[in-house]
Amino acid sequence: MTSVASQAPATATGRTPLEGIRVLDFSHILAGPFCTRMLADLGAEVLKVESSTRMDRTGVTRPDPNFKGRVDRPPSFVNTNRNKKSITLNLKAEPAREVTKRLASVADVIVENFSAGVMGRLGLDYKDLEPLNPGLIYVSMAGYGHTGPRRDWTSMNMNLQAYTGLMMVTGAEGDPPTCISSSWNDYIGGLHATFGILNALTERRVTGKGANLDLAQFEASVSTLGPMLLASAINGVPPARLGNRSTDSAPQGCYRCAGKDDWCVLTVRNDDEWRGLVAAMGNPSWASDERFSDVTGRLRHHDEIDKNIEAWTSQLSNVEVEGRLRKAGVPAERMRRIKDVMDDPATSSVYKTIEDPPGHPIRITGSPFDFSSSALTPVGTAAVLGADTHSTLREWIGLSEDELRSLDEQGVLV
Amino acid sequence: MSRVIDLTGLSAIYATRLLAEVGHDVIRVEPRSGDAIRRMGPYLGEKQDLEHGAFHQFLNAGKRSLTLDTSSPSGRRILDDLLQTADVVVANSPMPFDEAAITAANPRLVVTSVVDDSDPDICAYARSGLLSLTGHPDERPTLMGGRVYYAATGAFIGVATAAALLVAQQTGMGQTARVSVAECLQALFEQAMVTYASTGKSTERRGYRGAISAVSGAFPCADGYWMVSLSSSADNWHRFMDWMQDPVLAAEPELADEAERNAKRDYILDRIATWAGKHKKDELVAESQARHIPSAPVTTPLDLARDPQLIDRGFLQKVDHPEFGETLFPVGAIASLRGGKVAMAPSLGQHTIEILEELGYGPSDRRALLESGVV
Repeated sequence: MTSVASQAPATATGRTPLEGIRVLDFSHILAGPFCTRMLADLGAEVLKVESSTRMDRTGVTRPDPNFKGRVDRPPSFVNTNRNKKSITLNLKAEPAREVTKRLASVADVIVENFSAGVMGRLGLDYKDLEPLNPGLIYVSMAGYGHTGPRRDWTSMNMNLQAYTGLMMVTGAEGDPPTCISSSWNDYIGGLHATFGILNALTERRVTGKGANLDLAQFEASVSTLGPMLLASAINGVPPARLGNRSTDSAPQGCYRCAGKDDWCVLTVRNDDEWRGLVAAMGNPSWASDERFSDVTGRLRHHDEIDKNIEAWTSQLSNVEVEGRLRKAGVPAERMRRIKDVMDDPATSSVYKTIEDPPGHPIRITGSPFDFSSSALTPVGTAAVLGADTHSTLREWIGLSEDELRSLDEQGVLV
Repeated sequence: MSRVIDLTGLSAIYATRLLAEVGHDVIRVEPRSGDAIRRMGPYLGEKQDLEHGAFHQFLNAGKRSLTLDTSSPSGRRILDDLLQTADVVVANSPMPFDEAAITAANPRLVVTSVVDDSDPDICAYARSGLLSLTGHPDERPTLMGGRVYYAATGAFIGVATAAALLVAQQTGMGQTARVSVAECLQALFEQAMVTYASTGKSTERRGYRGAISAVSGAFPCADGYWMVSLSSSADNWHRFMDWMQDPVLAAEPELADEAERNAKRDYILDRIATWAGKHKKDELVAESQARHIPSAPVTTPLDLARDPQLIDRGFLQKVDHPEFGETLFPVGAIASLRGGKVAMAPSLGQHTIEILEELGYGPSDRRALLESGVV
């Protein structure tokens, strides 16, 4: 719960790691925008390519009539797309595609997470752009990648939770598939893409060459379960579903407490902690059973122990259970709901508060890392749709006022 | 290629795995008795020893292993020598070496300092809020399986390290990258954060039903489970209705609106489950993909051991394993981008002599170190 920001010495005011790096961002929804937000945090100039005819729908999935904040950009759009510039280009129009090619010829990185084939149909594939800009790092983030038998499959976070085996390694034996209510796989895909881009930028400094990174979100998520896949491949059986248990600490689990849907976890890693647990429960007679005196026995009789522990925890609030266990030297933690985490500055230090619009405080995801010398971009807000269209076309590719007017008249900058 | 000294624990070791995937020389420094990661099950095959843990075999693939007693003065001296030759070191804070002295002597060194209070993991997971999102409504919340949250924290640590390495290459100067594991865990529920901050509602665990959009779930079917996940658009709903041909749902045109679907979620999902129960998993998935409706089979990792997509893209690569024969090895998403191969994980101390030689320790020095148990 240590905030890295609070540790940052005042000297971390140097250049950002990606100062001067231009990112042309065609990505939408979450995995790609999460990646390009990290690039923006690291100091890249991220130009989000949008069109009023095809809006990024981020955040539209959770309409709330009572929301009082900014209406042009939903809160989750702001959270995901803060610190980026916005250009509007109607890519269905040929002149807009020509402008895009010129932008690509001076960009360092392109990120797109369309289905395989979409950028190719627009004439904006790696093979179209590489001749114009051999140093270009072109990152595609399709669900399954641009090759292979499933290249045309559509995918979303939940599909990846299902197809990577995650839902069947989570939970206990016999449970139905179990997921996390989070766009987990988008973050995993975005993190891998960001790592790949940083590495490609490093290599480019040596080779002068860019890269075509056809990252499959599916593979990124399967990688995070690499040990499970490897064990299954060698042993020919799916991995055991451990639920909340451990193979070397017992008892370990999540126990129901007296409040509605309140829970507390605990783990007993050695015999001292076991004695602490027994004392915290008031030395009940069941716990003196010889069978429970060492970890081997406790692992073997885990179900029976769990039932007895829960008979105790279910009489008490989770705060009380947590407090008594900790006092007895047993690692314990009550389950924090999102509200509990968010309302406690110590447990939500990664979420910063900014005002957008002025006078309206909102919470925004910051960075869980920082540097001793390099600066990070201060957390800001999301650009108004198309706010940077003209200025970027002037700065990146030197379009004149006449050229801009002509493009406006042709209706392609919308 | 950079040299990376890997002193990580479980919350960061995925970072050094990523660094090995791009071809860096990653040296894992381990105690002579082997570390905790070598002791984590499941194991490959029958032998439950320091060489057969699945976490070790996957996460240490492509690295070299040096065993060192860093509590002894001569062990610490070897670590210092090693750090003089390195570009990156990743370890938990506080650093197990004199950071000021080392970086003064080797100013280009990137030090990734991991602030880690995530042991035991079940407590960190409960504290982070993620436990409240994992599991089935009203049922017991559960840890995610396969310690997958530590791969996520490791990926953040990999990103921070890669950024500092890029700067070091530009400027010739290293620095400290600081990463908080607790903040990485928090950062993994940011949509729930947005929902709470803008509506005051805590997102709760939703089991296998309706995780993000209204019509999204792992439904039982004739031979297992299949996952279908409609986006919030009306278009997706219409395509699904064309296929399902449910006269009751079709009679409610307002369900084209996501808010209406959310309001009637359980009712809709019950009807879908009943319908899907009559069909087989592969048929349902093939048909929905043909209709551009996102769906997937619910698999176990075993189902992926010979997955055609992973083989075709070089993620699973054939290796001739000394013990298990010809087998398909997961090289990792970053290695597969580069068509790269990844060497098998090293045995404990496999590269100790070789690394001591590289550091300039002669035969008699090495013998003395071995005899005194430092290496």
